Amino acid sequence: MTLPTTADVVIIGGGIAGLAAARELTARGAGRIVVLERDYPGAGATGRNVARIRRMQLTEELCRVAMACQDKYERMGGELRSNVLFYRLGYAWILYEPDEVERMRDIVAMHARLGIHSALLSPQQTLEHLPVFEGGEPVAGSVLSDDAIVHHDAVVWAHLDHLARAPGRQVTVHPHTTVTGIERDDGGVRAVTTDRGHIETPIVLNATDGWSSQINAMAGVRMPNRPRRREVLVTAPIRRTIEAAVTFYRPSEGWFNQTLRGEVVMGAVDPDEPVGVDQRSSWAFLRRTATLVTRKAPALRDVTVIRQWGGMYDISPDHLPIVGPTGQLDGWWQAVGWSGRGMLLAPYLMELLAEHLVTDTAPPMLRQFLPDRFAPDDEDAGAREADYYARYAAGSPQAG
Amino acid sequence: MVARRLPEGTASTAQPARRVRFTFDGRAFEGIEGEPLAVSLLAADRLILSRSFRFHRPRGLMCDTGQCGWCECEVDGRPSVRSCQVPVHEGLAARSEHAWPSVDRDLFGWLDLGSPAIPPTFYHHRFLRPRQLRKAYLDVIRGFGGRGRLPVGRPSSTPSRVARELEVDVLVVGGGRSGVAAGEEAAAGGASVALIEAVAGRMRPVRPGIRVLDGAVAVGWYEGVVTAIDEATLWTIRAGMVVAATGTYERVPTVRGADRPGVMGARRVLDTIRHQRVLPGGRALLVGDASDLAEVSDALTGEGATVLGPVPTAALRRVLGRRRVTGAVVEVDGSTRREAVDLIVLGDRTPNLDLVRAAGAAVEERDGQLVPVLDEAGRTTVPNVRVVGSAARGRRGAAVPDGPDARALVCFCEDVHVDELRAQVADGYGDPELVKRRTGALTGPCQGKYCLAAFSATLAAAGAPVVTAPTGRPPLRPIRLGDLVASEERPEP
Repeated sequence: MTLPTTADVVIIGGGIAGLAAARELTARGAGRIVVLERDYPGAGATGRNVARIRRMQLTEELCRVAMACQDKYERMGGELRSNVLFYRLGYAWILYEPDEVERMRDIVAMHARLGIHSALLSPQQTLEHLPVFEGGEPVAGSVLSDDAIVHHDAVVWAHLDHLARAPGRQVTVHPHTTVTGIERDDGGVRAVTTDRGHIETPIVLNATDGWSSQINAMAGVRMPNRPRRREVLVTAPIRRTIEAAVTFYRPSEGWFNQTLRGEVVMGAVDPDEPVGVDQRSSWAFLRRTATLVTRKAPALRDVTVIRQWGGMYDISPDHLPIVGPTGQLDGWWQAVGWSGRGMLLAPYLMELLAEHLVTDTAPPMLRQFLPDRFAPDDEDAGAREADYYARYAAGSPQAG
Repeated sequence: MVARRLPEGTASTAQPARRVRFTFDGRAFEGIEGEPLAVSLLAADRLILSRSFRFHRPRGLMCDTGQCGWCECEVDGRPSVRSCQVPVHEGLAARSEHAWPSVDRDLFGWLDLGSPAIPPTFYHHRFLRPRQLRKAYLDVIRGFGGRGRLPVGRPSSTPSRVARELEVDVLVVGGGRSGVAAGEEAAAGGASVALIEAVAGRMRPVRPGIRVLDGAVAVGWYEGVVTAIDEATLWTIRAGMVVAATGTYERVPTVRGADRPGVMGARRVLDTIRHQRVLPGGRALLVGDASDLAEVSDALTGEGATVLGPVPTAALRRVLGRRRVTGAVVEVDGSTRREAVDLIVLGDRTPNLDLVRAAGAAVEERDGQLVPVLDEAGRTTVPNVRVVGSAARGRRGAAVPDGPDARALVCFCEDVHVDELRAQVADGYGDPELVKRRTGALTGPCQGKYCLAAFSATLAAAGAPVVTAPTGRPPLRPIRLGDLVASEERPEP
């Protein structure tokens, strides 16, 4: 497909953020939308995550946003006429230390207040619901919710199929198209140059997550979000066994769940993962994950690893996404810094972003995510990832 | 005529064979201690060992490398074990997986008849109405998933391994003739050399000075570091130059029925006759080049089997039989004929590209095969990786015949058919990375070892816009999670 020479909005990045933004802008008649993707649609974090769609969060603010986001997913199949395999698998935080359990009492109470179905389980109840942990490191309890998973690729195709049906070719998606530069003047953004041509546009949306710092740099925009690698492995399918997507944070963060096909996806986070664009697979990850996960759930010793891959979390200093326009450059919009929550948050937040772009007013729920909450010279997210819970400590300014 | 055990020949081992009893799906069988479980079952004419993931197609012993995965069953409580790699022992208890009521007569096998109506994208626009039933639909789909049972609550033991590092000038992966020659040449030039061979006890002696890791399986390539696992060790090997002498895999032709029990690679057939003294069939059709098949032809006729062919691979149009091979349709000089056979022997082999692809080296299509791109010195596009021997060129045979049957399988792990790949191109999703994700082709347990060439050729023929092999991902072979756990780190002295 030839590249248009002009557009009303150019979206850089054909992942969930870019595609959802294209959908929402088209629905609001925002003019001619062009989506540029360096590789194939969903080649970045969108195609590399495990698509857990969880309302159960650690802060009330985030819970409220996540509730709207999960509702958006629940409606998505009907709205886009494509099945995204939204499935309430259940979600569990497995707790190992008494302080975690104490902390969770308040959080479960907060969930109940908001209408999120979560429960604090005793060690015995945890093993009854999740016998995969039998014989492993003794658990102190768990928090179990009715949260969901979707199929990340199905979400991409649902959006692509939907965009292809848009009347009058109002939106086009261009894979294998690399952005090489951004043209700007005093008035703001003027054009995007690519390896396949030049597009004049008054508005650009940077939706490139892990690569967003590079794209921002092309436009002379500075943001404090930085990418860090995360890795995943997947096993050969086993019979339905694990009735929740599980995550634990002690002694370090790890997680696993079964897909609808029965494969187990899992990972163990390296708290010292350096900052940088990196999607490579590592041997250290396989060994770290095997060691941590089999210690917790010894039955998983017998699953067979068949594939591994790496992707990126684009992490902002407050671990909240950066969504909206910036005072640094007129016409330069961002949907980046998803901090590992892009799959959950992007479809709904892109609805809010489109609303903002079309009406020129930020919807209230979007305000906490606006880019200008950071100053251009704010420190980047290069510091070591601290204890997971510490980011959400009560009264912390980071609690968003 | 069926598969049967042969009288002991001179080729058998010096030690007297000890008969052992084991069970498969609760029934008692007898085998020879130490022979592969799949061969013991073959000797009892039990050909169906597993069912394919999506359509429950019957599968049996096929390859000689342990990598096709068609013989997977539960062995002594461990799920999805490749029974061609398990030595049979007294009291062994095996169960088939993913079949009901039995692997031989699996009711879900009828799904295969409906396969044209269940493409890999079957759910994309379905199961949305009525809204209240959405979860129930997915619960049904989830019920069809999975294979093995996880032994929850009674974890099996895995050997405790030591993590060790090794640094050498040259690492040779594969201890066949070309690998040994490459290793000896490097060592003669003064280089420090390590050689890893996956199958313990198979290598001929090599000259002193070469560090041989016999029984170590190369499982990964990570930025120039090769990792390998053996019974006692997790190896991390740094080498200035890596020589891939990794040989070949059987090339299963893209024709209907090519995965039926009774279709076997020539080397597996030779091995069962010579080493395990089991004749896999009484009337065999040889498929491939005559020079590759002469040895297996002699071995079969020597044991009294009737041998037809060889016919060129392109002449094989279809394999007949629902639960096992009963015949083949062969086209020679424009005329088609049916042959009644119970064994089809495949001679063609395709390069093992696992290490080459994991290293990110380029591959190209040549004479219908996917081969590594090499310069005159045998170097790949990754400068410190060389390929030697049959891994560089394979052994004959175009990946896909001209005008292939639309309902022939390309990917066996995920039961993906030729027309399903074509449909992706027609629907505008022809990028190989998208075809892979939409159809599941290349994503099953073999990770493309048995279908990459046919996958690429089918997409190219269908006019896909970008024709590259999708990214190869580690590990190179399936690994039990427990096998990755080391109890101790020991730096190399």
